[in-house]
Amino acid sequence: MSIAISVEGLSKSFAGVQAIRNLSFAVPKGGATALIGPNGAGKTTVFNMISGVYAADAGRIVVNGTDVTAMPSRRRIRTGIARSFQNIRLMPHLTVLENLLVGQHVRASSLLDLLTPFRLVPNHRWKREARAALEESGLGRYADETVSGLPYGVRKRIDLVRATLAGADVLMLDEPAAGLNPSETHALRDHLRALLGRGLTLLVVEHDMKFVDSICDNVVVLNFGEKIAEGPLSQVRRHPKVREAYIGVEEEA
Amino acid sequence: MLLQQLVNGLMLGAIYMLVAVAFTIAIGVLNFLNFSLPGLFMLGGMLAFGMMKLGWPWFLAFAGALFVAALVSLIVERFAYRPMQGSDPEVPLVSSLGFLVLLENLMLIRYGSDQQPFPALMPDMNLRIGEVVIGIAQLVSLGISVALVAWLSWFLAATNAGRRIRTVAESRETALLMGIDIRSLVPALFVASALLAALGGILFAVNYQQVSPFMGEGIGFKGVAAMIVGGMGSIWGAVVGGLLIGLAEVLSISMLGADVVNITVYGLLLLILIVRPQGLMGRPATREKL
Amino acid sequence: MSGYLTGVLVVLAFNVIAAYAVYLPLAAGQLNLGIAGFMAIGAYTAAYLTNEMGWTILPAVVAGGAAAGLVGLVVGLPVLRTHGIYLAMATFALGQVISAIFLNLDVVGGAAGYPVTEYAPPAAVFGLAIGVVLFMLLLSSTRFALYLAAVKGDPTVADLLGISVRGIQAAAFTLGAIVAGVGGGLYAHHFSFIEAQHFSVLLSVFTVLYVLFGGTQTVWGPLVGAGFFTLVPELLRAGDQYRYAIFAFVLILFMAIRPQGLVTTAMLRLRRRAGSAA
Repeated sequence: MSIAISVEGLSKSFAGVQAIRNLSFAVPKGGATALIGPNGAGKTTVFNMISGVYAADAGRIVVNGTDVTAMPSRRRIRTGIARSFQNIRLMPHLTVLENLLVGQHVRASSLLDLLTPFRLVPNHRWKREARAALEESGLGRYADETVSGLPYGVRKRIDLVRATLAGADVLMLDEPAAGLNPSETHALRDHLRALLGRGLTLLVVEHDMKFVDSICDNVVVLNFGEKIAEGPLSQVRRHPKVREAYIGVEEEA
Repeated sequence: MLLQQLVNGLMLGAIYMLVAVAFTIAIGVLNFLNFSLPGLFMLGGMLAFGMMKLGWPWFLAFAGALFVAALVSLIVERFAYRPMQGSDPEVPLVSSLGFLVLLENLMLIRYGSDQQPFPALMPDMNLRIGEVVIGIAQLVSLGISVALVAWLSWFLAATNAGRRIRTVAESRETALLMGIDIRSLVPALFVASALLAALGGILFAVNYQQVSPFMGEGIGFKGVAAMIVGGMGSIWGAVVGGLLIGLAEVLSISMLGADVVNITVYGLLLLILIVRPQGLMGRPATREKL
Repeated sequence: MSGYLTGVLVVLAFNVIAAYAVYLPLAAGQLNLGIAGFMAIGAYTAAYLTNEMGWTILPAVVAGGAAAGLVGLVVGLPVLRTHGIYLAMATFALGQVISAIFLNLDVVGGAAGYPVTEYAPPAAVFGLAIGVVLFMLLLSSTRFALYLAAVKGDPTVADLLGISVRGIQAAAFTLGAIVAGVGGGLYAHHFSFIEAQHFSVLLSVFTVLYVLFGGTQTVWGPLVGAGFFTLVPELLRAGDQYRYAIFAFVLILFMAIRPQGLVTTAMLRLRRRAGSAA
């Protein structure tokens, strides 16, 4: 089985606070892996380090066989990895379609692509592609709406669609189901299963364990920046350290 | 006469310093590049002139000018700052520039576009130290400026209100979490920066004995330069920047000629922005979180 | 066309060109407060080439644009490392330095100004302005224009999507400088005289006002803004000494009511939808 993302001995501290400590895990190709853990365990930090928003203090990150540890964040998407954002980072003044067109950048980045007045061409293939991706996730009717006016759940899923348009075969999704209502969650599950069926690899940060159970075959549990368990969810659940971490949270709440 | 030039530079720098501190309050706490401040600077000088022309004694004229400037600043807050929360950062800048143009043209309608002679308050009172001549009026204004800035710095460091202001400047979110009512602080800050700018205008009029509706532009822009050279949001940075720009201006006039002033002053600003964008005494910005 | 009307339209044309020079970097989130400096480079370069080197107007104006673009690129790269207000102030300082350098450059007349022999008729000015507008319209339907908005809206995400944020910003800044330079070059040849004092901060600042007034969300904003700013003071000419005061007053009220500018994307979309529904 080949590896999509491999993280070895990763560490990161912010202003003296150790956010990630000697973290190693691997995401196998073609499946869905979940990164779970209590709030503040460092899940989004791991995403930010893999995508290059933060530089690693120590350790190595390999994506699809390429060592990206020292690669500028802008180039990492070209190694075949794209991501969505916990707090939805779409361009609010642009339409849904325009946001998706921006998401296609890596596949249309020559100078000629940049300067073709394609929007004057009716039904240009870039627009067709973006619309098709929207239709596929059942959001087709929002194509020409301005993002800022759309409901949270819709924006959340458009953020995901944008990530898929980069042509990446590894997607990192930061809490894709957070804030979605049951029917939206259901649609999301179908969408993710369709992506898996196409051979994509998913790395998902998610709090909803039922959702994780329905999508992911492998789980990595973080607490205080360290890996405390790894394996199928059913096994990991029984792990004493995992129970301690989660029960500790419940007691506090 | 290098020493005399240094003294003149410091005197001019003290005026820039007041304007720079006014700008730094607006930028540092409110994140607002308030271009109405050069207008309020001019208003200070012009209204003091106008009221004295009506026969008012100088202290009443000065108080009157300061009062009007504070009032106008509240109007600026209402129309240029308050409606813009959440819009592009350039927009309040435009509105505040609108106020600059408005104030200039109102003064122009009232007093004409020419330079007007400002009456000498302390004529022929000069201090002689060796070769160096210092006007008493200049010395008094330097003293007032420095004392005011020192007081302001103490106020921000040592009082409760000052600490609240500094918290807002550090992080709006923290301030909100701590229950600080930002909205009640804003008008006070507008009044404070207006008073500093208008006082700068009055001191300029007293020192250089001339006023005009456009006196705020050149000085206002150099005040901004001084603020950035020193480091945005830092009071002592504004002091250092103001004195530095004043010295650079006077020295380059005396050594290289009046036409190169803008090259030295703004060249210095450009250099600082490229080499050390946070200014001499500012702290670098941190990268945002996702 | 009467002489007066032609005169007003020529001013309008130059204002439109300048507005787009400011709009390009602003669409990528960079406020250029030194656009007058780039106009000065274009104006003086082109005038020098026709006056002293015997060039004809067209290549001289193109060279003026190129010179402004070159300075934009060379100075822009270090300056663009700064953000937001720092960038605005850096461009502001740059504009001041450039115009002060020309004030002291005796080859081109220094403080006395520089007469220009070759003359460009109004038709050339109108032609250039229309050309700039058409170019901008074409540009607005490219990926480049989308990336300008993306880089302005969320540079971190644009970077993660693989877009070279600095590349796009430098391109927008340089392209704006070229447009300003070309406009300046033609300005010199239409008015037959240039002086460094004309290319002041206030020229830069007023141009920024047109653009923000018109709105930066769409490519039409600068055109509408420049039109408003040129024509309305003309209409207010009857009020004469009050006109700039009235004008500033209107501007302040307008920005308080509509901070996003006159023309917005939402407005254009509404229009389109109403059109397709009918």
